[in-house]
Amino acid sequence: MKIQFTTIEGKSFQFYAILVILSILAAAGLYASYRMFEGGHYITGMTNQVPWGFPIVMAVYLIGLSAGSLVLSSLSSVFGKKEYKVFSRVAVYLAALLLMAGLMSITLDWGRPDRLMIPFTYFNFNSMFSWNAFLYSAYIGICVVYLMAMFAEKEKLVTFIGAVAVIWAVAVHSGTGAIFGFIHARELYHSPLLAPSFIAAALSSGTGLMILILLGTFKFTNRPLDNRLILGLSKLLSGFILIVLYFIFIENLTRFYAFGLREAEHYYLFEGLHSKVFWIGLILTGSIIPAAILFFPKTNKSIPWIALASFMVVIGVLAERYIIVIPAQTYPLDQFPGKEVSSVFLDGAYANYLISLPEAAQAVGIVAIVGIMFILGLKLLELLPTEAVIHDTEKK
Amino acid sequence: MDRRAFIKIGGALTIGTVLGQGFQFYQAVADSKGEKTSALAKNKWGMLIDLNKCDAGCTACVDACRKENNVPLFGDKERDIHWIRKASVKQKFPNAREQSVPLLCNHCENPACVQVCPTMASFVRKDGIVLVDKHRCIGCRYCMIACPYKARSFVFKETHDWTNKDVPKRMHGVVEKCDLCVHRIDKGQKPACVEACANANNGAMVFGDLNDPESGISKLIANNAVQQIRADLGLKPKVYYIGM
Repeated sequence: MKIQFTTIEGKSFQFYAILVILSILAAAGLYASYRMFEGGHYITGMTNQVPWGFPIVMAVYLIGLSAGSLVLSSLSSVFGKKEYKVFSRVAVYLAALLLMAGLMSITLDWGRPDRLMIPFTYFNFNSMFSWNAFLYSAYIGICVVYLMAMFAEKEKLVTFIGAVAVIWAVAVHSGTGAIFGFIHARELYHSPLLAPSFIAAALSSGTGLMILILLGTFKFTNRPLDNRLILGLSKLLSGFILIVLYFIFIENLTRFYAFGLREAEHYYLFEGLHSKVFWIGLILTGSIIPAAILFFPKTNKSIPWIALASFMVVIGVLAERYIIVIPAQTYPLDQFPGKEVSSVFLDGAYANYLISLPEAAQAVGIVAIVGIMFILGLKLLELLPTEAVIHDTEKK
Repeated sequence: MDRRAFIKIGGALTIGTVLGQGFQFYQAVADSKGEKTSALAKNKWGMLIDLNKCDAGCTACVDACRKENNVPLFGDKERDIHWIRKASVKQKFPNAREQSVPLLCNHCENPACVQVCPTMASFVRKDGIVLVDKHRCIGCRYCMIACPYKARSFVFKETHDWTNKDVPKRMHGVVEKCDLCVHRIDKGQKPACVEACANANNGAMVFGDLNDPESGISKLIANNAVQQIRADLGLKPKVYYIGM
C-alpha cells in the first residue's frame, strides 16, 4: 500500500501556543549569544584554561543527533526495511535542522561570529575544522536533494542518495570526533576511538530522539502509529547502547593500563564535577537503566517504558559529549612531565568549569529554533504520513 | 511553500554550496602550490633562556612585554592575557629546588596551532615566527585546544589600553599570543623581554638567528646541554633552555 504523506493543519491553539513559547526561548538564546559577541566571552564559564565550553558540547551533540537521524532515514531506502519508510522524510528533515543547529552553536560561540564567511573562503587541509566546514555544508545539500527526491517519489534516486547520505553522515561524524581525537597535545582527547565512538553515540541518541519524535508528533496530530514500529526501533536502540558502552569501556581501560596516563584517567573517572556527569549522567541514566528497561521482558514491550528509556539515552549522550569535551581541558597540560608546576597563568592547575547562564540560554534557544523549524516544516511540507501502520503483506 | 518552490530554493542552495566548495578547493590547491615553490627565508629566529641566570624574583621580561605589547590584566586570573609568564617548576621529590622558568610561545617549526587553524589566521612567517592574523581569526579557539604550551590567550573582554602605538589596538573575541615583538625585529631590534632581561643585568635571555651557525644563540646551543619543552611531541619548539 502506498504511504500518503500530508501536511499538518497547524491552526489549533496548541500549535500557536507552542510556537510562541519556542519563539520566546529562541529570542532569549539569541540575546545571550549577542551579549557574548558584543561584550566578550567573560560572561560565560569559559576561561583561558577551558576555552571550549557548553556551546561546543551542544554542537557535537546536535551534529551527532543529526547524523543518527540521517542514518535512520535510510533504513528503508538503503537497508531494505520498508516498514520504516513512514518516518524517512521526517528523519531527513530533522537531520538537516539538527546539523544547522549544531553549526549555529559553533558559530555563535566564536569570538567573531560576524566573520562567518571566512572559513568558507580559506581552506586549511590540515585542519579538521576546515574539513568539517566542507563536510557540513555538503551534508545540508545532500539532505535537501534527498528530501526533494523523496517528495518526487523517485525510488531509485532515493536509494542512491540514501546510500550517499549514510556514507556522508558517517564521514561527518567521524570528522566531528576527529576534532578531538586528533589533538595530540592532550592525552584525554588523543584517541583513534573517538571517531567510531562518536558514530555509536550518534546512532543511539538519534534512535532515541526518533522514537520520542514519532510518539510525540503522531499523538499530537492524532494519526495512528503502529507499536511494532516503535518496538523495532527500540531493539536497535538497545543494541546501540551496548556499543556505546563497549567503546567507553575499552577506551578507559586502555588509558588506565598505561602508568603514564593513570593520573589523568583517575581524574577523568573519579574527580571533579565531570566524573559525576560520567557515572550518573552517562553510565547510570544514559546506559544501564535504559538498557535494563529495553532488555527486561516486562518493560521492553511497553511504549511508556520505551519512551522513558529513549529519553534517558538522549540525555545520557548529552552527558557523554560533556565528559568528552570538558575534562580534557580542566586537566592541566603536562608541560613538564613528572614535575610540579605553578604560575600566575595557572599552569599545572586543575581548572573549574561551570555552565553559565548565557551558555545555557543559548543552548535552549538553539533547540527552540529546531523546534520552531520542525513544526513549521510539518505544516508546510508533506513530511508526516497519514498513518504509520505496518501492513503484514508488506513485511517479508 | 509548495513543492515546486521548495525544489527551486533547495536546488539553488545545493548548487551554490557545491560551487562554493569547489572554488574553495581550487583556491586551496593553488595556494599550497605557490608556497612550495617560493624560496625559504634567510633567518630562523629563536630564543635561548639560561635558567641558571634567571632570578626567581625578577619579572623584568614579563613587565617589559606587558608594556611593549599593551598586554592587559583584567584582574581575573582565569581570563588574564599572558604572552610570557614565569612558572615555578620543581621535581616531585622531598626538598626539591624550585626553578623559575619563563614560558612563552615556542614558535614551533611544526606548530599544532597552525595545523588546526581553519582559516589559516595562525601562520608561520618565512623567518619562523608564528603569528596570528587578528583580522582573519574567527575566535574559534581550536588553536588553544591544540597548543601543548598554553601559549595562547583569548581576549575575553574589550580593553582600551593602547599606550604603545607601535602595535595594533587589541580587539576582543580573537586569540593572541607572543609574536616575538615582530614589530621590533623588523626594525632590527630584539624582543622587549630579551632587552629588559639584559638591562636587569641578568642576561638570561638570548635572541638570535638559528640559521646562522656563527650567531651567539647558535654557538650557545651547540656548546651547552640545552633542552626544549616537550620536545617529544615533535613540534620542534624554537625556545631552548639551559639548566632545566
